Amino acid sequence: MKHKIFATALLAFSAIAFASAPAVAGVDADAAQKLAKKNNCFKCHAIDKTKKGPSYKKIAAKYKGKPEGEAKLIENFTTEPMVKMEDGTEEKHKVIDTKDMKEMKNLAQWILSLDK
Amino acid sequence: MNKRTFILAFAALVAGPALAADPATINWSKIPVVKIPLFYPGQSSYEWLRSDAHKGAVKEVMRGDACLSCHDEEDAEKDIGEKLVKGGALEPTPVKGKNGFVELSVQAAYDDKNAYFRYQWKTHGKAGIEYPYYRYDGKEWKVYGGPRLDKAVQEGKQPPIYEDRLSMMLDDGKVAGFAEQGCWLTCHDGERDLKTAAKEEVAANEAMKAYKKDDVRKYLPDSRTNPSDWKTGKPVEEIAKIKAAGGFVDLIQWRAHRSNPVGMADDGYVLEWRNFDSGKKMFDSNLDKETKQPKFMYDAKKFGAKAMSAKQAGKKESFLIKGVNAVPFDPKAGWKEGDMLPRYVLTKDVEGSAGDNKATGSWKKGMWTVVLTRPLGLANGDDKALKDGGVYHVGFAVHDDNITTRGHQVSFVRTLGLGTKADIQAVRLP
Repeated sequence: MKHKIFATALLAFSAIAFASAPAVAGVDADAAQKLAKKNNCFKCHAIDKTKKGPSYKKIAAKYKGKPEGEAKLIENFTTEPMVKMEDGTEEKHKVIDTKDMKEMKNLAQWILSLDK
Repeated sequence: MNKRTFILAFAALVAGPALAADPATINWSKIPVVKIPLFYPGQSSYEWLRSDAHKGAVKEVMRGDACLSCHDEEDAEKDIGEKLVKGGALEPTPVKGKNGFVELSVQAAYDDKNAYFRYQWKTHGKAGIEYPYYRYDGKEWKVYGGPRLDKAVQEGKQPPIYEDRLSMMLDDGKVAGFAEQGCWLTCHDGERDLKTAAKEEVAANEAMKAYKKDDVRKYLPDSRTNPSDWKTGKPVEEIAKIKAAGGFVDLIQWRAHRSNPVGMADDGYVLEWRNFDSGKKMFDSNLDKETKQPKFMYDAKKFGAKAMSAKQAGKKESFLIKGVNAVPFDPKAGWKEGDMLPRYVLTKDVEGSAGDNKATGSWKKGMWTVVLTRPLGLANGDDKALKDGGVYHVGFAVHDDNITTRGHQVSFVRTLGLGTKADIQAVRLP
């Protein structure tokens, strides 16, 4: 049942919400988006458009082929590091309101999947 | 009739009827519909946007970034509105059951003479076509009813009564920042229901005295030396210069009680205050300031009685219109406790710039449909002229369910183009 829901969510996700973002096995894109939205991530980031922060596609491209990508993103979610904005200024990155490492890994993997 | 007059009259006879469409016969099904999300803003004023409470956005707002540069994600307006309407720091007195989001459908068209706008939105409850009344208590005429944000209404001491409204704010690029931050340029702490400034403080303020205003209403940043402080109004002469240079926004409001019954929308502008355009508008106070009694009452032959009763309120249309059902108030007409008369009297005899906008609204199956007609090329000093090929920035608001002031749902700014590419593209009529 869970797999069925997951597959449906992925189909809906790739067909409607993010046509340019391919589905990746093992990533619950719907859950990742929900978590991102709940934490106002989309106020600063968009999938493929530069906002206050870099686009998720740009982030994914930056870490393409680099195994430390997931850990680096989770560090950003959890440790409030100073990050460079697109206008050249620096700000503390927002901490995501979850302690669930599985949720954070899923979000990181979803962002990293967007380079395809 | 001299030769020039004859030529003009002939030209008008030949060309006139073909130039202006009858808005009632426009085939709106051929005009694209743009869905504009409107949301409940609470007290998110110009000042709040620039405060630390507007998390992570102060620098961006201060440098003039567009609201939509951050709030562009899917359902952004719905999420904000539904959160704010429930109460919190930005809504200290939430209205129980109030909706936080309204979808406004906008269509636009134009011809050689006019621009035509068609708006549709679903109301939260029944149509708000009433306005608070004056009620005779046996001695005096006192206000009866009020908008839902009023303390007396929230405490159940007065019934919720207020008219529905549809507002459009419009600029032609002359107001710095409007293209990015729209209506939020005009919304400031100190205004009614927005950390309302004390009457004594307003009365003592030199600028407000010069403006001849006894409360704070919408104003543009350029009208103050410190845009975040209503008390720092610039001298009248300077305001006049800003106005002459086009540094104001037009504010058109269709009102279900005070303009719709006479087929109009009011015409105003925001600069140092929320002003009405020059001339004579379609509604006026029905209270004589000297006698403290109404100026007009119903013509019993037309209305069925000289006054309304509380039992009739909400069940019978209460519009009081000169030349239709209004006659001068007779203080010796045998008034009894509970008699009620409208607070405003309407007229079709508008004059000057105040009467530019015609509008008709009808409410069916829970939805308002309003069609607004505004002449192109208005040359008045208090109007933004719409022209073929022009691009403008617009913001919309709906007041619904017996409410006023901050209790509206508003839009982020959009572009309007007359025959030109824009968010809302007005279609040229054949």
